[in-house]
Amino acid sequence: MNELEQIGLAAMRDCWITGGTSFDLAPVAWQQIAGGSDPDEKERRLLVIAAQALEIALRPAAPSTLKRRPPLPALALPMLPAQLRPLVRAALKQAADTRGKVRVVALVASHGLVLHPMDWMPAASDQDSPDVYAPWVDWQAGVEGQSHISQDRLTAQNWHDFYPAARRTALAEMRRREPASARLLIETKGSGEPAEIRLALIQLMHFGLGPDDVPFLKGLSADRSGKVRELAGRLLARLGQHGLPGEGGGEDPVTELAAFISAGKSGFIRRRTTYTPVKPKSPAQDQRRAELFGTCNLVDLATRFGVGETEFIAGWQFGADNNADIFFARMVAASGSDGAVAQMADTLVAEGGKPALFVLQLMPRLDTGRKQALIRLILKDAAYLASLSLLEAAEAGWVEWGDLGQVLQALRPAVGGSDDAARRTADNVLEMLGFLATSATAKRLIDEMVTAGMPPAAPSLGLLRLNAALAEYQSESRK
Amino acid sequence: MEFDLKTIEALAPDQASLSAASKLTKRSNWPRLEKNEALALMWGECQGSGSNPYRVVVDTGDHGYKCTCPSRKFPCKHSLALMWIAATVPTSFTPADSTPEWVNDWLGRRRKTTPPSTQQASGAGGKSIGEAARTDESTEVEDTAAVERREAAQRKRAEETRSSVSAALDEMDQWISDQLRLGLAGFVDNSGDRCRRIAARLVDMKATALAGRLDEIPSRLMSLRSEERPDAAIRELGKLVLLAKAWRAAPDDPEMKRLVSTSETREQVLASPHAVQVESAWEVLGEKIETRRDGLVSHSTWLLDIRSAAPQFALLLDYFPASAGRRSNAFTPGDRFDARLIFYPSRQPLRALVMDRKGKVSSGEWPAVASSETDPLATHLFCQDAAPWLTDCPVMLPPGAILLDDRGAPWWQAAGDPNGIALPINEAVSPTLLGIDLAATVALWNGSRLDLLAARSSFGRLDLS
Repeated sequence: MNELEQIGLAAMRDCWITGGTSFDLAPVAWQQIAGGSDPDEKERRLLVIAAQALEIALRPAAPSTLKRRPPLPALALPMLPAQLRPLVRAALKQAADTRGKVRVVALVASHGLVLHPMDWMPAASDQDSPDVYAPWVDWQAGVEGQSHISQDRLTAQNWHDFYPAARRTALAEMRRREPASARLLIETKGSGEPAEIRLALIQLMHFGLGPDDVPFLKGLSADRSGKVRELAGRLLARLGQHGLPGEGGGEDPVTELAAFISAGKSGFIRRRTTYTPVKPKSPAQDQRRAELFGTCNLVDLATRFGVGETEFIAGWQFGADNNADIFFARMVAASGSDGAVAQMADTLVAEGGKPALFVLQLMPRLDTGRKQALIRLILKDAAYLASLSLLEAAEAGWVEWGDLGQVLQALRPAVGGSDDAARRTADNVLEMLGFLATSATAKRLIDEMVTAGMPPAAPSLGLLRLNAALAEYQSESRK
Repeated sequence: MEFDLKTIEALAPDQASLSAASKLTKRSNWPRLEKNEALALMWGECQGSGSNPYRVVVDTGDHGYKCTCPSRKFPCKHSLALMWIAATVPTSFTPADSTPEWVNDWLGRRRKTTPPSTQQASGAGGKSIGEAARTDESTEVEDTAAVERREAAQRKRAEETRSSVSAALDEMDQWISDQLRLGLAGFVDNSGDRCRRIAARLVDMKATALAGRLDEIPSRLMSLRSEERPDAAIRELGKLVLLAKAWRAAPDDPEMKRLVSTSETREQVLASPHAVQVESAWEVLGEKIETRRDGLVSHSTWLLDIRSAAPQFALLLDYFPASAGRRSNAFTPGDRFDARLIFYPSRQPLRALVMDRKGKVSSGEWPAVASSETDPLATHLFCQDAAPWLTDCPVMLPPGAILLDDRGAPWWQAAGDPNGIALPINEAVSPTLLGIDLAATVALWNGSRLDLLAARSSFGRLDLS
């Protein structure tokens, strides 16, 4: 289209927008094509020419400021094969919440594979997905000005070459291998970071936490952020150190909390001290008690009663007040020493029954053996199967067929029956087992459930199907 | 529990369904018939009147059934025909170890029901398999005079339709002139009402396809920014005038009839000597399901010939009433299969029917985009040369990426393009896509926007439809 035609087209367009006859405004060449007919027909012919001119000769003008996002980095593990993507998408769709989705991601990662980015992406604030996704977390956070992901060892010099999630992953790894070097880095570089990032860095101190960390943690009592001070206090408590000085004013929280607990004696031959929660007199008191359990440390509370952490846990009367038991377990998880956590887990798991379920609160701090012992205990008692959905920080792919005796007895009638509540519980259990079971167990469990009356394509079998298919894919690719 | 004819009689909603089912029991109607005895299931694909085959599954245990056809009779003729084949020629079913994903989907959703009692099954309620079979077999012999009368009546009807459509096009031309006289600003603002009125007139005058296209103009305009709408209105109305002229020049041309009045039947396309057949490997690029203002849902499935050196596309297009609810799809994006396709006769063949679908294909790359091509829309220009009345044209774009403008609207831009050519995209895209380099992208270009279908990238194939 030449310039005259463009000018003519613009004039015709303006005329038609407001309404009228455009023949006289059209380029001469177009007039010749459209001429020789009645006025309406002339206009329609010009309309056809204008339409084709707009269709093929003009393009939408691209803005000069189109913005490109940095390329999405490739991850260190290979991508899940295309044939397994529908199974992953089905399992992700079935997962009720972020925790469920992270389980799908963790299961795939446990087989040395990562998801396709169009199927799942971690959120910018994600801290729960496997470490291999750190480059995508950083990409999501959209950090500007950093154009590469450093593959080097993290040092004070190249600190800013790392995106935050990649830095967190590198520091966590360093804390496991060289805790002192990592602490020095956090100490040197952390103080210059904003409170939110400082808090995330101090959280990494729980890897390989030891007495050498005490001076640094005590130094944080002067930190500008209340959350950082509180976290440092928790970490110190885990090392047996008494809490940092409070904010001042009011009654000492530990004393206030101690008032909600009564010390007594039990046993005729071997007298021992017991600690029983006192029933709150009002909802307000119950609320206050919950707050105090959330802020006080185990070591301080035990000291208030003149005993150590282990004696206090041994004397705690589980079963007297369910709410207090949960708050207490959370307190132990947050501020108890590694020994205290292990002692509580071992004692409750050994005793079994409902109190053992309080160990679920300790899961993130338990070693693999204790986690597995707790899960096996839950699998043995059909009454507690529903609590499987509360599992956190569990590891994928280890539950064997032999561990499922009681579970099968509970699941068979539930999946084949018409009780909706029982079926929902069974669905949740099957979803969790899809994550926990070995691939062979997963495959067998699907067959078992289908035989029991479950449709082969039931969505709750999604994770089990993925689990089984991952192993099949790996065995085929090894051939 | 296997089927017997008495059970089928009892299940059939009426005698007409049985008669219709009897016509579908020929093996040639069923490119796929499989069963899994352990799961008490049988399933098949029946080539109906649409582009996509209907998928039918029957539970032989409790006589549950599901078909993807839009029929409101339950069971439909396809389900009855499948049962009928199972009762009379059970060897037609190939044993299968596993069930296809669409069968699994149905199993996952359905609630088991108790099988009907034998008393219920024995009561056929006046329906008879024998009568249905007899109706099918007895083809009435017409005498020569009757044939002539019938053909004369057909010719008369065709003549009446043609003159009615001609009058409809005259009315549309006049209506378009009125819009130009009154101003396109007003037309854009009131396009819903104005188009609705003229579309209703066109339906009355048998220009049904053109009416459907006119009815969609308002939504096409409203999907654009306000400053773009007048130009889009000029394009849309100009193409209608052009189409009317093309019809007047060749009213019996199959493509013109299809675009203005009604489409050919499947049988007519299969019998047409002008319909091109292509046997190749096809990849399902994506689907577009849109509810139209006339109450129909259009279901488009786009295919790419992965054995062709240059990008060749095919469109499987079906319409069904929106009231029939959502239909399950016959294809999944990314599926690859060998098939013979027959294209509706056209200057730019695109719409097609699956004549014969064979096995799945696993290997095969997309055809390369010509690197010498400086204009990513060269295919579109070629399409417009051949058939300027077309609105949407599939294009394969060279390496590029998706970028955002200041308003957050996405654009596709060629990689390292010194001319800065960028094409706006119809809808918001996944934020993840903004970080992925696209080695090749297939999209529909409608003159204003790209509608993304699929892409290839270092992360593999991306479904974008």
